Amino acid sequence: MTSAPGHRTRSGALVGLLAGLVLVLAPIGVWAATPAPVVAAASPVAPALPSAIPVAAVVPPVGSTAPTAPEPPVRIRLPALGVDAPVAPVGIDDRGRMAVPLDVATVGWYRFGSGPGATAGSAVLSGHVDDREQGYGAFHKLGDLAPGDPVTVDLAGGGVVAYRVEAVSRFPKTDLPVGEVFARDGAPRLTLVTCGGQFDYREHGYTENVVVVARPDVS
Amino acid sequence: MRLNHLARHAGLAVGGALALALVAAPAAVAQETATVYVVHGVPDTPVDVYVDGKRAIDDFEPGTSQGPVQLPAGPHKLALFAADAADGSGSPLLSADADLPAGGNVTVVAHLDEGGNPKITPFVNDVSSVPAGQARLVVRHTAAAPAVDVLAGDKPVIEGLSNGQEKALEVPAGSVSAAVAAAGTTDPVIGPADVDLKEGTATFVQAIGKLDGGKLSLVSFTVSDLHSSPSGVPSGAPSGAPADGGAPAWLLVTTLAGLSVVAVSAVRLRSAARR
Repeated sequence: MTSAPGHRTRSGALVGLLAGLVLVLAPIGVWAATPAPVVAAASPVAPALPSAIPVAAVVPPVGSTAPTAPEPPVRIRLPALGVDAPVAPVGIDDRGRMAVPLDVATVGWYRFGSGPGATAGSAVLSGHVDDREQGYGAFHKLGDLAPGDPVTVDLAGGGVVAYRVEAVSRFPKTDLPVGEVFARDGAPRLTLVTCGGQFDYREHGYTENVVVVARPDVS
Repeated sequence: MRLNHLARHAGLAVGGALALALVAAPAAVAQETATVYVVHGVPDTPVDVYVDGKRAIDDFEPGTSQGPVQLPAGPHKLALFAADAADGSGSPLLSADADLPAGGNVTVVAHLDEGGNPKITPFVNDVSSVPAGQARLVVRHTAAAPAVDVLAGDKPVIEGLSNGQEKALEVPAGSVSAAVAAAGTTDPVIGPADVDLKEGTATFVQAIGKLDGGKLSLVSFTVSDLHSSPSGVPSGAPSGAPADGGAPAWLLVTTLAGLSVVAVSAVRLRSAARR
């Protein structure tokens, strides 16, 4: 039985080869079989933001501040989604886009624009959808909001501004109407923005923006 | 004192003494008017300003500015008289012809040239929109002084600016510590002082007076509402991959481990086969 040692080696190597293949393929199978949740599902792509103002919502909310020095928001609550998230002021990133907090649990407020409770203009809050390392973001289900849902924003000075959702829209990222979203004039409103659509791995981002417009709640 | 000047005049909102005499055209024909600011930078000499023979500013104090006012587009005669002059007759201290373009935006500065002689210099104001998150700073050298550098936080941001010249910068909005020094030096002749450059605004700063006797100061005014929108909202996944798509890190680890076991086994299999 001179071949025995060689035979044993060959069997061991074959077992190793098979085990290795299982180690490679099984996890891939497990991962592939896991269903991917739909991200920020919203109404179909809308060509433009709603321009009509509901009759009931033309009076500025209590706690209005001068448009020149907006009072920073510190928290946003979306009861319909069970969201209660901290808000931090943000500016511009190095590509001229709105900076969004790296922490997906924190929502960013565009500090150069209007503030919640201001008498005019769009106060813009944006949060990440999700992240591989951090999980779901504060605005992960933003697209599930429906017209009439309440939104409240706490201000740094202790005031609370109440809104109701007017419309939920989605836009291809390249067609986001930034002039409307970031307008500093016009009727007071709160604009919530996150991402949606497919994830583009080459661009490292989603293909769409989900945009929620809310008007001051006077009820 | 200098500090005071800089701080006081940065972001100055200008009153309207000029408005009464100058707004001749109705507001509806905005395209047929030009927007005008005036800066008085000749030290120690209060003046009355006459436009086309009519007094437009009474007792215009040195080191101040006025505007904006709307003037009908077209040619105008500008004359500066000593403030106590009875009327616009006789010979003015300074005069100039200005042809204002419709829809234009200009600053007329009465100031000293490098040698200390009074003169009038018009500047076109760049009031185009400013990139999101930024502010425009325009610095004009209208003082009896050699070329200067403008320092922001001890670093020169404008170099070799001479009398009659201006230079524009677009900088991230916020407070900057600004100073003016002789060209090639860092020893301030004006400032340093904190200047608050608000997002979406243009601040026009005129250095006036004369270096001799330390009578240099700044007169500035700010034009607002020049902001732009951010170009987009990248609210996707900050790490570059979403929670639900793409291969998670653990999968990479198992795959690499599996591949190494396969490779090692294959080598062993080969060497076993050779025996």
